[in-house]
Amino acid sequence: MSTQSSRFEFDPGFEDDRLRVAWYAVVGVLVTVGAYATYFRLTEGMASTNLTSIVPWGAWVAFYIYFVGLSAGAFLVSTMANVFEVEGMHRIDRDALFAAIISMAVALLFVWIDLGRMDRMYFPFIWRQLTSALSWEVHAYVAYIGILVTELYFSMRIDLARVAERTSGLKERFYAALALGRLETSEESQSFDQRWLKRAGIVGIPLAIFMVHGGTGVLFAVSKARPYWNSGLFPVIFVISALLSGTALVMMIYVLRTRLFDGESVDPDLLDRLAQLVIGFIVVDAALTAIETFIAIASVHPHEIETWQVIMYGPMSWSFWWFMIGFSWVFPMVLLSKRSWRRTPSVMVLAGLSVVVGIVAVRFNIVVPAQVMPVMEGLPHGMYFPTLVEWGTSVGMIGVGLLLYTIGAETLPLTPLTGGEHE
Amino acid sequence: MSATDDDTLPGIPNVGKADLDAMVENERPDPREELADVEADTDLGIAMAEDAQRVARGEITGDEYWEKYDEAAAEEFGEAYLETPNPAVDAGDQTVSTDTAESLSCSVGSMDAVATESAQVDGEEADGGIGAGDEKWGMVIDLQKCVGCDSCTVACKSENRTPPGVSYNVVMEEEHGEFPNVTRTNVPRPCMQCDNPPCVQVCPVSATYKMDDGVVNIDYDRCIGCRYCNIACPYGARYFDFGENYDDEVDEAGELTSPEYGVDRGPREEGKSPIGNIRKCSFCTHRLERGEEPACVETCVGDARNMGDLENPDSDVAQMADSSRAFQLKEDEGTDPNVYYLK
Repeated sequence: MSTQSSRFEFDPGFEDDRLRVAWYAVVGVLVTVGAYATYFRLTEGMASTNLTSIVPWGAWVAFYIYFVGLSAGAFLVSTMANVFEVEGMHRIDRDALFAAIISMAVALLFVWIDLGRMDRMYFPFIWRQLTSALSWEVHAYVAYIGILVTELYFSMRIDLARVAERTSGLKERFYAALALGRLETSEESQSFDQRWLKRAGIVGIPLAIFMVHGGTGVLFAVSKARPYWNSGLFPVIFVISALLSGTALVMMIYVLRTRLFDGESVDPDLLDRLAQLVIGFIVVDAALTAIETFIAIASVHPHEIETWQVIMYGPMSWSFWWFMIGFSWVFPMVLLSKRSWRRTPSVMVLAGLSVVVGIVAVRFNIVVPAQVMPVMEGLPHGMYFPTLVEWGTSVGMIGVGLLLYTIGAETLPLTPLTGGEHE
Repeated sequence: MSATDDDTLPGIPNVGKADLDAMVENERPDPREELADVEADTDLGIAMAEDAQRVARGEITGDEYWEKYDEAAAEEFGEAYLETPNPAVDAGDQTVSTDTAESLSCSVGSMDAVATESAQVDGEEADGGIGAGDEKWGMVIDLQKCVGCDSCTVACKSENRTPPGVSYNVVMEEEHGEFPNVTRTNVPRPCMQCDNPPCVQVCPVSATYKMDDGVVNIDYDRCIGCRYCNIACPYGARYFDFGENYDDEVDEAGELTSPEYGVDRGPREEGKSPIGNIRKCSFCTHRLERGEEPACVETCVGDARNMGDLENPDSDVAQMADSSRAFQLKEDEGTDPNVYYLK
């Protein structure tokens, strides 16, 4: 291998120091805004939101399912490398896993801030309800984070050991601790890691699909009182849109981190492969959503029809047409349509960003419209747009996610030291 | 109109005061005859009754009266007398001084104090306290009698002291048809206390649950405020307590709270449950436990709301719920509400 000589070169973090400062400044602003908004959230309680008893779930819940989806999607991309051993995907294995962990942490922050009694966040682990999807979900999330961390460990352990070997003092102890003291770099130890990585991945796949994200879809779908959610296809669409957003995220991260952190050139074949996955997921997502919409409208159930009217023609219809249809389907589809564009990193970053932003609107359009229609004739209609406190805290929690990701990317060997392929 | 008597009002028969007194006296049963049917000593009863009238007229004091009869009553009524709370001993307008009351052989203490004690004892015996009763509470609302005055909503707010944005009961007012063929229905909507409650099904911490008496309880000490039940309720009966207050409208609005589900939580304070929790109608469980009807039922001007035991076939509500006029809201949801409506 030509890279043998540079095999143990380990210099993570930004290539350009000015970019580093600028980036941390941006993240710092986001976190500061978030801290300020969180102060209001904590002192004024839930009254600082625009939520009501008619629309009890809003921006925080939408972002929560958004980040759960992002995480599940990114994780499933990682399994293509470590379980299905798709050629050339190993390079993005750790990127995907680490992004999945951070997304999940952010998702849980959103759940937490949404609780009326934030001090009771641990209660679901003390008292349970077998029939409650939410009760199951909380446990699935914890198990899932456990799987993600286990996988990242087995994926990265050998490189942590190599880095520990090359450094000294505090740094050595830091990396040795992350490797949990297993510092051998033999072939044998590597195949042990890969075996366990695969096993954890195999457990993780059904967990992510059926419990974590499918389950989050079920959480909504069981609400018989809300016909818009109450469909069997709903959790499936949840999983597909998760795959879409997760793959787009990984594609974006792959380009940005390779360019800005590793200072290397992007592998056009890998990029094309990810881009084609995104195409596939857009097609399936759009098709299933169309089927779901058709079934809803064909049912002529007034609740369904009126909810779809709210989505398509209501005051928030811009989010449906511009963000959901435009940014998450049409615009990226155009960018992905040409082979040469699919192999151009900057275009693919734009396509990935477009999807990642567009899916936010998908999540809002899941959560809010179903609550606009009253559950019974004679009760008032719902109205909802997040307050500045809700936006501010959301920006802050996303900022925390970006900060954690950046710190991780600056310290951890997320790019395999040996290149990309299994040795 | 002849004005022979200044006191006479038009349309009212001219009857003198003496005539009225005579009529009353005529109707009054003979005490001796009445008391003859009772096991207790007739002479003692008549003497006590006559002296009680003297107390009422202010000729003797309550203290003198009880000192005079304490011994005789203890002898005559035994246990029953000794263990009975003295109705005359009550804070405020008592007719017996505390000193005298304490010297009497009947167990002194106000009716209230004794009632509270016995309620607590009953609760323990019933194993489970609140909501463990034998009844299965149900409500029947006669829509033909409902005039849409919203007094149930007001009575509920004042009884349960619900904050702004929380209203356990609302009246859904609907107009149907086009002029001139317009009908209007008013449908009061409390919590349905469903037999298959979707809210209970979704609660991740089992903070909301069915009690033995059919009422769906919310444990404010356990609810984490995730509002999943709010989403799941097909009747929109659940409300989140955002912590707002009527402080601008009423001084010390939060000083008094209602002992919902039998728990007295003291004054309403920031960060303290039920703020940050989900709330809903409890069929006024705290009133039911005292043998009172829910506030909405008691206040209803048209007597449209009825409360009772659905499992007792002789009860009014059971019979009404069984009538051909009876229906439940959203019957096809399978929730099986314990609130019935009469068409």
